[in-house]
Amino acid sequence: MDPLVITAHTLTSAAGTGIAANAEALRSGTSGLRACDLERVNLDTYVGRVPGVEAIALEGALAPFLCRNNQLAELGLRQDGFAEAVAAAVERHGADRVAVLLGTSTSGIAATEAAYHRRDPQTGALPPDYDYQHTQNMFSLADFVATRLGLSGPAMVVSTACSSSAKVFADARRYIAAGLCDAAVVGGVDSLCGMTLYGFDALQLVAAQPCTPLDRDRAGISIGEAAGFFLLERPSANAHGARLTGYGESSDAHHMSAPHPEGLGAATALQQALDRAGRQGDEIDYVLMHATATPANDRSEAHALIHRLGPTPRAVGSKGLTGHTLGAAGAVGVAQALASLAGGFVPATAGLGHPDPELGLDARAETEERPVRRVLVNAFGFGGNNCSLLLEAPQ
Amino acid sequence: MNTIGLHAVGLLGPGLDDFETARAILAGTAPLAGDAINIPPVRLLPANERRRTTTTIRLALKVAEEATTDSDRSQLRSVFASSSGDMDIIDRICDALTQPEPVVSPVQFHNSVHNAPAGNWSIATRNPAPATAVSGYNATVAAGLLEAATLQQCEGGEVLLTCYDVPSMETFIRVRPIHHAFAVALRLGPVEGATWRLQMDLKGPATADRCVADELEALRESNPAARALPLLEQLARGTAGHVTLDAPLGRSLSIRIEP
Repeated sequence: MDPLVITAHTLTSAAGTGIAANAEALRSGTSGLRACDLERVNLDTYVGRVPGVEAIALEGALAPFLCRNNQLAELGLRQDGFAEAVAAAVERHGADRVAVLLGTSTSGIAATEAAYHRRDPQTGALPPDYDYQHTQNMFSLADFVATRLGLSGPAMVVSTACSSSAKVFADARRYIAAGLCDAAVVGGVDSLCGMTLYGFDALQLVAAQPCTPLDRDRAGISIGEAAGFFLLERPSANAHGARLTGYGESSDAHHMSAPHPEGLGAATALQQALDRAGRQGDEIDYVLMHATATPANDRSEAHALIHRLGPTPRAVGSKGLTGHTLGAAGAVGVAQALASLAGGFVPATAGLGHPDPELGLDARAETEERPVRRVLVNAFGFGGNNCSLLLEAPQ
Repeated sequence: MNTIGLHAVGLLGPGLDDFETARAILAGTAPLAGDAINIPPVRLLPANERRRTTTTIRLALKVAEEATTDSDRSQLRSVFASSSGDMDIIDRICDALTQPEPVVSPVQFHNSVHNAPAGNWSIATRNPAPATAVSGYNATVAAGLLEAATLQQCEGGEVLLTCYDVPSMETFIRVRPIHHAFAVALRLGPVEGATWRLQMDLKGPATADRCVADELEALRESNPAARALPLLEQLARGTAGHVTLDAPLGRSLSIRIEP
């Protein structure tokens, strides 16, 4: 396929605010997880909580959008000169030629949870200041970002659970190829809320200690939150940067909340990403795995990697740094891959004590300093929804 | 965008049991009688999975099944478009979270994801093709049409678009007044062999078309998925025509239809 260039990006997660802090945490393996201290959540677990989200003010046209998810989006948009880069893209292409394609799994549901606590005791009515459209509704995130950045291109939210913010890269490629836009703001935001913490706890998928992807003793996920944004454009004299050269998407068609045991859907997505880029498995430096740290997820994904890339593929799991950021996981993975391409290192798998020998992967606890040209990023979600992206260093 | 083919339609709404029997109502030659709606179980799912479905999943899969009757479901890409997703589950979980010791149902939680109908559809049809789930608030139909048309143009083959929204629960009805379930599915694909040809363009702000029939217009306004009704009226009339729908961010989707 014709590659797209990532001309600007930013990431805010528990591991850091902005790409420099996230890259440093990735290189040094410094975790942002801490014991859960969220109001109204009484669970024995660790979370990847971004500091300062509650303090972000949304004013003027942005005021109706006030909720944790959009506050986190705003904090993210203030980093790394991203908003300025988008403004420059608007100058180049026009506001109606820049798409807004973003992923989230739960949007601003924390606002609805808070409103339910404030229901009228007599009538059960939600409080009058509760704004469904601008907080809880799935489209709120794209609406907020478009309003914040002054964009009016094609817009939507993709919500396919934990693959959401990976699939929007494939959408951007198609929207640009179909002539609907000349550039796209993609990425995703998901924020901590009671629904996901108690929901994953009900499924018995949450670890009591910080998550340890790919480890022999891994015991489940730590839930995190993050905001990652990327500006994608066609290659040109003005458009330099790392490139999206392939994508793959598939469905497990197996189970709503358990992965296919042999990772069949994951293997298909991975192969499609390689095929679209015209690459062989041995040309990939490493796979930034979805690796949520549940026993079944990591096993299924390892099967897929070995099936397509051969024995003991080099693999990295990064959720020990940020927690599993759900609908933002794809965006976090892509930003980490870009840090690795730019910085020349294969990241450590943070939290790895004893690599699980049964996985058959080459996963390491130490960062390896060496040039990196190509990284596959995986993001898989409930409903058996899979996406793989291939990121390559600038030409 | 390129012209694409529309091969089949699925429909379920109050007084609208399926596209073929609703055709006369949509064409304006028969009145909309009553507002009864029957959302059947998903025949394609195994019994065990069928028991775990929600109204949202049954609503979406009913029209998806109708639009893919007599076609190969095993390789079909799919786009599931809903403004609000499963409001029933969101209501129940948010209510549970107000308790001192919250207990969330694991089945409700995994069905709470916006792509729950998409996941169930892929399981029901043993279909490993990519599936997606999108929202564009009240312009979700246009967002879904653009996503499906773009997929068809760039990846080829057939693409199933399913748009649906369930009515709001009591707690939500004042902030999100959706009173009736409504769902529509369009099987899009190559122009060859299609029943209709659609030429879509994303344009600037323009007033969306209303329904010709008053009672259908009331439905159109009451449910984001029913924003597709002016398009369905034009399809049922069987003539060439043009429809404008609201697109996200205040833009419009212009659709030229040829039988």
